[in-house]
Amino acid sequence: MQRWKQYSGLAGLFAVCLAAGLWGFTSTGGSLPWAKRSAKTLQRGVQDGGGSLVDLGRGIVVAGPIRKNGFMAEFIGISILFGIIGVGLYLYADRYRDVDGSEHMNSNP
Amino acid sequence: MAHIHLGEGTFPLWALALWTTVGVVLISAVVYRIRKGGIKTHQIALAGIGGAASFAIFQLNIPVWGGIHMNLTGLVGILAGPLLGALIALVVNIFSAALGHGAVGLIGANTLVNASEAIVAYYAFKTLMQLDWDTFPASAGAATVGLSSGAILMGAIIVVSGVNGSALPRGDLTIAVAGLVGLNLGVAVIEGILTGFIIQFLASVRPDLVGLANRDSRGDTTGVTA
Repeated sequence: MQRWKQYSGLAGLFAVCLAAGLWGFTSTGGSLPWAKRSAKTLQRGVQDGGGSLVDLGRGIVVAGPIRKNGFMAEFIGISILFGIIGVGLYLYADRYRDVDGSEHMNSNP
Repeated sequence: MAHIHLGEGTFPLWALALWTTVGVVLISAVVYRIRKGGIKTHQIALAGIGGAASFAIFQLNIPVWGGIHMNLTGLVGILAGPLLGALIALVVNIFSAALGHGAVGLIGANTLVNASEAIVAYYAFKTLMQLDWDTFPASAGAATVGLSSGAILMGAIIVVSGVNGSALPRGDLTIAVAGLVGLNLGVAVIEGILTGFIIQFLASVRPDLVGLANRDSRGDTTGVTA
């Protein structure tokens, strides 16, 4: 397919989604974090709100329930554990394929 | 990034039972398909890494659109496939709920939402690639469509279930939920673009990982040699 058609389709999809996002942003409370926005919107209905779309001063923060309940160590621990398992599986898969040239496992007879 | 962030007891009991049952049926079907058809080793590896990345980024709020988090479920679906993508959605939601991010009673509903994102993204990506799209627009578009479908499903689940203690009649609740769904569609664009760049990069260095080359043909690298 011609490239301009691909990117035109993608741009159209993005335009529709961004327009919906902007409407959702203003109608559900403006610059509210997602959890507060959900609770407020579903209890009291749609309300107009403002604020900046991007607030770099706020920074990237861990989700409130984890941060406020003291689960940071658990979060970091699980993330590291998952990372180790993921990398381990990747290395295992790479080596497994190199050894016998086959990558299909768990196949039933 | 669709994820139902409501507390325990927000949904009526029948809704919890319904969504949990549907979630169990979905996961059972996925496990059955995996046991019957088997999975490729490289998909297991990608699922492991995808699950780790998805869980970590799931807990991080970025300062856009007020404060949202991403899921990477579109990326996981494209890389690991629809079956493992659904299982990753379950694992990420269980661990997130264990840390207080999402209600335990909503694990079934949230798994349905996130699994639908991975499944739709995978099939959308395959369809677009068959239509001879380039990697970036195909993956970015597929992830955006997948995440949008998850957002719509999230809204449908909330509207069908109703919210305990809400003063809103069902019609007003639908309008309010539509706002949340709309916000998610905007976020889907951000995550879709990110997914597009990641898939494009992977396709350039390891096309076999995204199913764009015969895995057996991989061998000669274009990297620096001695």
